[in-house]
Amino acid sequence: MAVAVVLLSGAPFHGGCCRHKVFLSLLGPLLSNSKLYSSYRRPGAEPKKKLSWQNADFSFKKSIDHLKTQLSLLTKETQDYLQGPGGHPLSQHVLEQTRVLWQFRSQEDLNKWVISSDVEIGGKSKVYIKLGRNNQAALLYGTLNTEVPRDGETKYSGYCSMRSRPAVGSFNRKKYYDWSNFNSLYLRVRGDGRPWMVNIYTDPYFSHQKDDLYSYFMFTRGGPYWEEIKIPFSKFFFSSRGRVQDNQHPVWLDKASFLTLGLTIGDKVDGPFQLEIDFIGLLNDRAHREEFAYETYDKN
Amino acid sequence: FTTSLLLGTTMTISSNHWIMAWAGLEINTLAILPMISKSHHPRAIEAATKYFLTQATASALLLFSSMINAWQTGQWDITQLTNPTSCLILTSAIAMKLGLVPFHFWFPEVLQGAPLTTGLLLSTLMKFPPITLLYMTSPSLNPTVLTFMAILSTALGGWMGLNQTQIRKILAFSSISHLGWMTIIISYNPKVTLVNFYLYALMTTATFLTLNSTKASKLSTLMTTWTKAPALNAALLLTLLSLAGLPPLTGFLPKWLIIQELTKQDMA
Repeated sequence: MAVAVVLLSGAPFHGGCCRHKVFLSLLGPLLSNSKLYSSYRRPGAEPKKKLSWQNADFSFKKSIDHLKTQLSLLTKETQDYLQGPGGHPLSQHVLEQTRVLWQFRSQEDLNKWVISSDVEIGGKSKVYIKLGRNNQAALLYGTLNTEVPRDGETKYSGYCSMRSRPAVGSFNRKKYYDWSNFNSLYLRVRGDGRPWMVNIYTDPYFSHQKDDLYSYFMFTRGGPYWEEIKIPFSKFFFSSRGRVQDNQHPVWLDKASFLTLGLTIGDKVDGPFQLEIDFIGLLNDRAHREEFAYETYDKN
Repeated sequence: FTTSLLLGTTMTISSNHWIMAWAGLEINTLAILPMISKSHHPRAIEAATKYFLTQATASALLLFSSMINAWQTGQWDITQLTNPTSCLILTSAIAMKLGLVPFHFWFPEVLQGAPLTTGLLLSTLMKFPPITLLYMTSPSLNPTVLTFMAILSTALGGWMGLNQTQIRKILAFSSISHLGWMTIIISYNPKVTLVNFYLYALMTTATFLTLNSTKASKLSTLMTTWTKAPALNAALLLTLLSLAGLPPLTGFLPKWLIIQELTKQDMA
């Protein structure tokens, strides 16, 4: 900013005709297609053709439609607020013991999830998601490839994952849910015997906690029968940037705002994988009394 | 840390000079931070960070207000705050310290991240120095601004507490609402504000201590505490009704006095 002021104020010494040249030279990087940062691009990352602000759609009709959608969402949120917490009466909130969060019956349900793999870092794993037979489950399948991309800096590769999109309310505001009534995650899945990792990301407020993740393992049995897996939230361990932390804390579910659930496979075994998911829900298991499984002793 | 809290509170409430009052507030802020983040949980650290940022901003505004007044009038006496700009900046600083609307967003989050005993201190002891400063400067402050903030606090504190399921957040919104009641009358009869504050502190202390003994932090846990301690639960019921201001319980008294005083001022 100070440099701009100095440059612009210095322009009269060279004549007024040079002022627009100074202006253009300041705004040149924004107007042109060149990047403002290093031009290094990781293998596997697609080259950016357009700047993010150039992708904005300035259509008036679309903006009116968008505004109408958001206002109807806001009306619905207000009506839900008048009913009770989460749009349900208080008695339902207090007495609830099970809740289905995600079930896979249509393409809309699949659109609430995002799949990704090590292609982002230049790997060769493949992952796909589609509806299973009779639209009764989601089928996550693909091939895991642990070959390390040859970019000189990556040491490990070979992962595929599926993450839920965070819930947003009207005007893209974060939606807050209270899951503290429940103590277990409940999944009805049919796997192929490969182990998966279930990750919970609680969207923290400050950026220095953005890499925090709570994880636990899900071991699937191969075979024709569906299995119902209960994972207590007390078992989830805390990690940051992929490293398990010494100071362990239980996951707090009172402010499940941008909480995203992820299923990741990264068992270092090359080959195909497959996971069918019927539904994912929450359970209040009264028999489970454990509050936290790790580091419960007093530390010095 | 408790000693530091008492020191900071005593310094602020007994001071005549703005610098001593500010120093007391800073000691309070710094002393409560380790208590909020005691468990080292990421949410507790988040609560401590939010508390520090808002309170530091408010302290800076308070110092700025006193410096403007000192520049214009040549003295640092708390009761001699005469410059209108100083008064406005001080009002916003105190509002931020207390958690009055529109500076209330930090309070429920901080209370939710802190343990119950620290929440008790945040709701009672940490409110005492700013209320004292408000009491000492009340003749100089703009009644319109205070009334506006008070009405918004009372309304928003009630509405936003409606659908909460976490008890600490409910008590935070209750605190915001009560502070609205305290603020609306401070320009007309400051002693009623003090009566309101003392009774509010007493009722909130009783509530927090009861919840701490039953380890209830959410509504569903509270639903089953009657089996463990029925007498305590009955006492909690009466305390909460008193906080709500239901006659003939004690909590109704400050509200009655405030409405009576506001009626005399043709405001109710």
